[in-house]
Amino acid sequence: MTAKWIIALVAAVALLGLGLAAVNGWAISLGDVLKVGGVALLVSQYDDQIDSFITSALGEREAAAKGATKVVPILSLGGGGYVGAAQVVGSPENVSRVKAVVQVEGRFGSGRAQVLVPTTVDKAAGTPDRAKGVGVSAVIEFRI
Amino acid sequence: MRRRLRVPIVMALGLLTALAAAAAFSSAEVSFRSAERDGARVAEVLIGERPVIVLRTSAAGYSPLERAEIVANRLRTAMTSEIRVEDVKVGSVPSGEGLYIRDQLVVAVYRPEAEAHGATPAALARLWRDNILLALGLEAPEEQAPQEGAEAAPPAAQEAPAGGAAEGAAETAAVAEAEVEPEEVDWTGTAQKWVPIFSLEREGARVGMAQVAGPTDQIDQVKGVYQLRLDFRNIGRVYAYVPVSTISTKLNRVQGVSVWALADIKVLGF
Repeated sequence: MTAKWIIALVAAVALLGLGLAAVNGWAISLGDVLKVGGVALLVSQYDDQIDSFITSALGEREAAAKGATKVVPILSLGGGGYVGAAQVVGSPENVSRVKAVVQVEGRFGSGRAQVLVPTTVDKAAGTPDRAKGVGVSAVIEFRI
Repeated sequence: MRRRLRVPIVMALGLLTALAAAAAFSSAEVSFRSAERDGARVAEVLIGERPVIVLRTSAAGYSPLERAEIVANRLRTAMTSEIRVEDVKVGSVPSGEGLYIRDQLVVAVYRPEAEAHGATPAALARLWRDNILLALGLEAPEEQAPQEGAEAAPPAAQEAPAGGAAEGAAETAAVAEAEVEPEEVDWTGTAQKWVPIFSLEREGARVGMAQVAGPTDQIDQVKGVYQLRLDFRNIGRVYAYVPVSTISTKLNRVQGVSVWALADIKVLGF
């Protein structure tokens, strides 16, 4: 009787472990999917809040940028997907035209190089159309 | 028991009061920047958000912006201890007037500078003194007679609204000078420069270079870029880039400048 209980318990734990592993595997896959397509959703949902958060956090340090600001998605040139968000700053009329920031990134060992181009289009095809009079003041990485 | 508690309570209250006073005093930070007024490029010295001294001319081989940096440093030094109304005074210097805090000369006002403001050296020095006092939350001394100020005050003072009472004219002049600060910052410049960037994160330290872009005057001021890491509600991690005019613990942001490119390398892992 005792041996049967032990076998049943081990089997139950094994099944539970397999189930958890399967669930975790599914979660990772979902995360990957979200990372490709979900950043745009997060940006559209939280853009104003992130913008206010950055402005107020810098304001507390007396380092807020004086100009219009806006949070837009970052497009990876080549990859074509959204990889994060950026706060752009500049004159109001120029900032209002910005749709995205195109990022060109390279990695070399423990180093990295990154070019950030505010653009007036939301597709990362061809040469990005640089938005004049606008620059990047912050980059946001989402935890997904 | 009550008597034993009274001493620490009084001490704690005293400490809190001292900390509050220190915090209020230290909140008045000094900075300087390039700005445009009346179509001309000028340099401003600010206490907090308020421009207190506007420099329009070069002197002794220093540009207005270089002079503003010197003046800002002198003000910072003077403000390390509490300033009283009588500490800020106008006195003579060779060929002009000087604005002093205690015995330290903050800025000398020569005739070309005063003429650029449409004022006499003495009137301009008094205006700047009153601006400093107002920025520090102190009341300007009454020796600033309205008639005297009206005769030699800068154009900003003469253009001030006439609705105020005569006895308030001097203060209006000072405030008017401060309020003409242009809120619009020029972000359309195309000058570029590579400056060092340094970031300290939980994972390690990185150093590198950042390319900043903006109007030439502002770009000239940029000495480096600070990267601040902020957490937004467990949803995202924010890296804010702040172009600064001085490498110090205080973030002296240069307005009108933004980051275009970054390259860094991990030098230390935690």
